[in-house]
Amino acid sequence: MVELTLPKNSKVGKGKTWPKPQGATNLRQFKIYRYSPEEAGNPRWDLYWVDMDKAGTMILDVLLYIKNNIDPTLAFRRSCREGVCGSCAMNIAGNNTIACTKGFDELPGGVISISPLPHLPVVKDLIPDLTNFYAQHAYVQPFLKTVTPAPEKEWKQSETDREELNGLYECILCACCSTSCPSYWWNGDKYLGPAALLQAYRWLIDSRDEATGERLDDLEDPFKLYRCHTIMNCAQVCPKGLNPAKAIAKIKHMMVERVS
Amino acid sequence: MANNQFITPAKAARGLGSAKSGTSDHIRQRVTAIAMVFLVPWFLYSVIHASGAGYDGAVEWAGKPWNAILLILTAGAAFYHMRIGMQIVIEDYIGKTGTRSALLILNSFACIALFATVALSVLKLWIGADA
Repeated sequence: MVELTLPKNSKVGKGKTWPKPQGATNLRQFKIYRYSPEEAGNPRWDLYWVDMDKAGTMILDVLLYIKNNIDPTLAFRRSCREGVCGSCAMNIAGNNTIACTKGFDELPGGVISISPLPHLPVVKDLIPDLTNFYAQHAYVQPFLKTVTPAPEKEWKQSETDREELNGLYECILCACCSTSCPSYWWNGDKYLGPAALLQAYRWLIDSRDEATGERLDDLEDPFKLYRCHTIMNCAQVCPKGLNPAKAIAKIKHMMVERVS
Repeated sequence: MANNQFITPAKAARGLGSAKSGTSDHIRQRVTAIAMVFLVPWFLYSVIHASGAGYDGAVEWAGKPWNAILLILTAGAAFYHMRIGMQIVIEDYIGKTGTRSALLILNSFACIALFATVALSVLKLWIGADA
């Protein structure tokens, strides 16, 4: 259901301003969302000064700089640091993206805000609870389903059919798209969201998969699929340049095709 | 989302399962939209044109068979489209089951009543013009 204001315990208050690093000449200020379940009170914005000459080139470098040099209690997920794992997805300067591939030079001027992905329960600081997101991914059964016994060596696919999977298989499940979608914010308990639906389409269009009809059955629902109102935030934020809205449109097209 | 700590994520994500519906509304919304692409420009042009001749001129215009048919079709497409569109808005914004059901019923009633009113008014002018 629509929520136009933050719940009482989620209102972000003013936090601590951390001291400037000494001797730095190229400083930039970052406003970072802090919340710890062990501490009483609401989340807060902490202000950090970062020495941009020492911090590296990406936002993940800034976070690591802060954690290593200023405040070791700052919590965030990261792993591959090269846009493959999707762990460091967060909201940077108002846009969902992955911190490791977002460069300083792409940022607007002024104080840069960094907060967890929107409209998800926060575990700590920049770490959101993705349980429901993953359960929705599992709902679309993202694996090959067949009734024909498996061939001795491999399931074959023509080059043209393989090309259909381009723009779909690259998804890293960072959740940037789903958590940028207002429809997912309001009805995320029932609407599967762009990430899960992109994956659903990835298997619907796979020439080797034999469960297309059952897959469509499981998706045909006013909420699970048709809550997509082509707002297109998903396509705008995807750090891999994918277009979940287009995949959803193609699922709807398949739905229409099978009744007409 | 389920508040119960013993509800598994899979149970929550599956919910009540797929309703296996929604496609017909999706199609109807688009079909009525296509109809309105033609009907609405005609409607706007004609209404502005007819209004130049005053009340009597407008009554005469609406009473002509083709105008009456197109007017009823415009109202039909528009109110059908509105019913589906409003239903989606209500489903998006109203979470409480009771309130939502009440509004959805009210939406259907309102759209049907509006269509009936327009259609009967036009028919009256049309049939009245013949008499």
